Amino acid sequence: MITKEEVLKIAKLAKLSVNNDEIDMLIEDMSKIIEYADAINTVTEDEDTEVEFYNINNSSNAFNEDIVIDSYDRDEILKNREGGEKGYFVIRKRQRG
Amino acid sequence: MSKIKYIQKLLKDKEISCVELTKNYLNNIEKQNKTINAYVKVTGEEAIKTAIKVDEKISAGEDLMPLEGIPMSLKDNISTKDIETTCCSKMLKGYYPIYDATVWEILKNQNSVLLGKTNMDEFAMGSSCETSIFGTTLNPHNTDYVAGGSSGGAAASVAGNMAAFGLGSDTGGSIRQPASFCGIVGFKPTYGTVSRYGVVAYASSLDQVGPITDSVEDAAIVYDCLSLHDPKDSTSIGSRTGTCDKLNNSIKGLKIGIADEYFEGINEDIISSIEEAIKVYQDAGAEIVNFKMPKLKAFLPVYFIIACAEASSNLGRFDGIRYGYTTDSYNDVNDMICKNRSEGFGKEVQKRILLGTYALSSGYYDAYYKKAQNLRYSIIQDFKNIFKSCDVILTPSVPVTAFKKGEALTDPIATYMMDICTVPANIAGLPAISVPCGFDKNKMPIGMQIIGNSFDDYKVLNAAYQYEKQTKKSDKISPYPEVEI
Amino acid sequence: MSYELVAGLETHIELSTKTKIFCQCTTEFGGEPNTHCCPICIGMPGTLPKLNKKVVEYAVKAGIALNCNIRNISKMDRKNYVYPDLPKAYQISQFDKPICYDGYIKLSSGKNININRIHIEEDAGKLVHERGNTYIDYNRGGVPLIEIVTEPDFSSIDEVLEYLEKLRLIMKYIGVSDVKMQEGSLRCDVNISARKKGEEKLGTRTEIKNMNSLSFIAKAMEYEFERHVDILESGGEIEQETRRYDSELNITESMRGKEDAEDYRYFKEPDLVDIIVSDEEIIKLKSELPQLPDEKLQVFINEYGLPKDDAELLIKYKKIAEYFEEASKGIKNKKLASNYILGQVFRRMPTDSEKEECSISIPPEYLSELISLIENKKINSSMASNALEKMLDSGKPVREFISEKDMEGIDENTLREICMRAVSENKEAVESYLGGKEKAFSSLIGYIMKETKGKADPQKAAEIIKEIIMSS
Repeated sequence: MITKEEVLKIAKLAKLSVNNDEIDMLIEDMSKIIEYADAINTVTEDEDTEVEFYNINNSSNAFNEDIVIDSYDRDEILKNREGGEKGYFVIRKRQRG
Repeated sequence: MSKIKYIQKLLKDKEISCVELTKNYLNNIEKQNKTINAYVKVTGEEAIKTAIKVDEKISAGEDLMPLEGIPMSLKDNISTKDIETTCCSKMLKGYYPIYDATVWEILKNQNSVLLGKTNMDEFAMGSSCETSIFGTTLNPHNTDYVAGGSSGGAAASVAGNMAAFGLGSDTGGSIRQPASFCGIVGFKPTYGTVSRYGVVAYASSLDQVGPITDSVEDAAIVYDCLSLHDPKDSTSIGSRTGTCDKLNNSIKGLKIGIADEYFEGINEDIISSIEEAIKVYQDAGAEIVNFKMPKLKAFLPVYFIIACAEASSNLGRFDGIRYGYTTDSYNDVNDMICKNRSEGFGKEVQKRILLGTYALSSGYYDAYYKKAQNLRYSIIQDFKNIFKSCDVILTPSVPVTAFKKGEALTDPIATYMMDICTVPANIAGLPAISVPCGFDKNKMPIGMQIIGNSFDDYKVLNAAYQYEKQTKKSDKISPYPEVEI
Repeated sequence: MSYELVAGLETHIELSTKTKIFCQCTTEFGGEPNTHCCPICIGMPGTLPKLNKKVVEYAVKAGIALNCNIRNISKMDRKNYVYPDLPKAYQISQFDKPICYDGYIKLSSGKNININRIHIEEDAGKLVHERGNTYIDYNRGGVPLIEIVTEPDFSSIDEVLEYLEKLRLIMKYIGVSDVKMQEGSLRCDVNISARKKGEEKLGTRTEIKNMNSLSFIAKAMEYEFERHVDILESGGEIEQETRRYDSELNITESMRGKEDAEDYRYFKEPDLVDIIVSDEEIIKLKSELPQLPDEKLQVFINEYGLPKDDAELLIKYKKIAEYFEEASKGIKNKKLASNYILGQVFRRMPTDSEKEECSISIPPEYLSELISLIENKKINSSMASNALEKMLDSGKPVREFISEKDMEGIDENTLREICMRAVSENKEAVESYLGGKEKAFSSLIGYIMKETKGKADPQKAAEIIKEIIMSS
């Protein structure tokens, strides 16, 4: 059973806020799912399958050459933020909606 | 017959102009979308512009590229430059990509006619489109039922004759399940054969884009066009061989693997449908090989842990600073980010982010994420062994047929259990297709799944095509009448 | 109770590749905000990273130059945390399989500072805080970095400074970074602790950040060590934390406490594939490295016979060292070349950056030529000095300023006459000299040089004058 402290700690890391009225339901849901996930600990992998890391298709060395390609126009970069401010992305100081 | 080829023939023979064809599709969308809700955005103007271009080419007597002039739909997690791409989330409502996804670029260059963006579960997390901010998508076979998810809109657009083909994405079954529910074909290719560049990531090592079509041949045509190596995607390899020219390969002696574990807990109607399909294959000269899949019950937790973990990281970028939803009031930067995310993401998405964060967090990483990865590796090895003694594997696509709207199981575990047949192919990066093979007692479609070894996409498509041929399932099965052509 | 200092360093070095680490935007410094960006480096949904090959090459070269083992198979990992300058909310870095490991830098004392690891990672954007608002420029986001982590082997501030000087010099020599602290292409965090002299166990350490010059590093370390000692001596405990150096107040202040320690949830980057560096490739990259500073220093001292201080000054600037090597070709007295460079030539390049640039107006061959003339006794040192000034002014070779005739010098008879005249016309100086004043002698030489317009060989003149004086 996951604890309230753990849920709040996880939420903090994930930058999500959890309301007090939601938290109990969330604890219950998450606990069920985590318990279900524990099923993986009942299955043992075979001896010879301990591997440090792997790629699904065993691919490697996908590289770019060190050649400059023109960057995007700043207008495009800032397009979803209505042009930003003086060319910057801006987070305004605290807002009271 | 291949719908794509049929349409191209009509266009080449000048029996209908591309503009007229496009208008017919747009009319059909207008008639049905209010009910079915397959499309979240219809790009009528863009579609007509492309159709005009195609008509000019036809008039000039030029040859058409394989997908030229074909009206199609894109799932709304595929980036389309200057066309709103929302992933059906409040977080990306009003977001306009500044670049095209590679798969869209390929189709654009072929002058495929984009009819619009289709509905999906928010950020592809779900199996019914019920988490979409635009509401759920209904099943064209019977609008009391859902179309499935997360590529529900894509499947409904094709099944409802509102597109000749659609692109969806599949992380744990999101192409195959809705295809199965809607009685059409859905193909998830080998991981790495179709570029992921521009597709909003859910789980990077599981996601693949694939075609949703009326017939297997159409899926093969679309796949052959899309399966190019993309230098922008480091995990992209592309297909090693075309598939269209191998659809007619003989399946005499084809070894089809069946495992009992896949049939546990499956709806009766589905089992009998699959058994009939097995008979069809045997009559055609294929061989049935039995094998064991003892780790099957671990597949879902392995899938879920890896998917949630990667998703929790992939969705971290949605902080409202460069794009996306922003809240009205906040105290400081941290507060702003938390509010943007908590207000912008739906509940299911937030839950999966929390679960993924948990699985990666210090103290739990070894027990969950690391363990899941180790198991995943051993599952991959298991499949390699299985494919030594068979060419393809046959399973049901989904344990159930489409459920009624609002009846989506409230028990989270039961919901996730629906993916039991489809996730193995994502875990091991294998090609898998869902092909319609019957109806249940409520006349809702049943799907059968064929899975192949890595890079054996052509074998999977070949086996599926031959089944269609045997059962004449290549005839249209859409419940709606042919578009007036 | 005497305490000793223990420190370890984490140094971030910006690699001087033309493009960023995961996209092909330029890494050019400066530029209007957000003009060196693309969907990948601002983390737009759906984008994917792709690794710049040069970054791997430069990282391996750095590892070889620092005596590290190079990992044949390595991977990239995600380091997850949220901060406005980090567009994806994770930094692609290397966690447990860094590309280089177990190296060292040898200090002049002979002590090795052991390098635990060198890994590749991407830089974040820049934040500007103004009027309560936060402005973000992502130009720097995605610039490639290597992070070099040492063991806690430092036992003094001087050792840290020497290590950093050596590290910078090596990186400049192999050409992977311009390592300029003021521009941020070299950043250093210090982990410092104190323990009783003779104690084996390490004390609790604190991390100091935000020191952007060597002198600030020294000052910060001094302050922090004192702070540790004060706390320990009064029986307190050091809190493990990260502290920020304030250069104005010359203090360190706490940045974040232990309860806020970030959980980075490292996992292998699924959007990238393995990095495989073969042994052949490592050998090839090693062969591309120039002679490293320490080796060159030994050559200058042992083979060229330069004094240690002079040699160190020359190798401090790679281009100067190379200039010197070229100029030394074909001459015996390499110290002479060194003297001229460290003297007259350096006077024309007063700043460090000018010396880095090494924009000397004459090619090394011209200096060689000048020195050959001295060695062949065609000209004397004062003629040479004058000529050199003119050469440096004009960029022209020595023969523009000294003709064959000038090189004839002064024949012995003429010289003898002039010396006798020097002695007879400077009786006071002679008296002074005989009375023990050495300085008086140089005025005699001065007279002769003036009379001969600098052509006389001052040593020969000195011999003759002494003869004359002795015999009279």
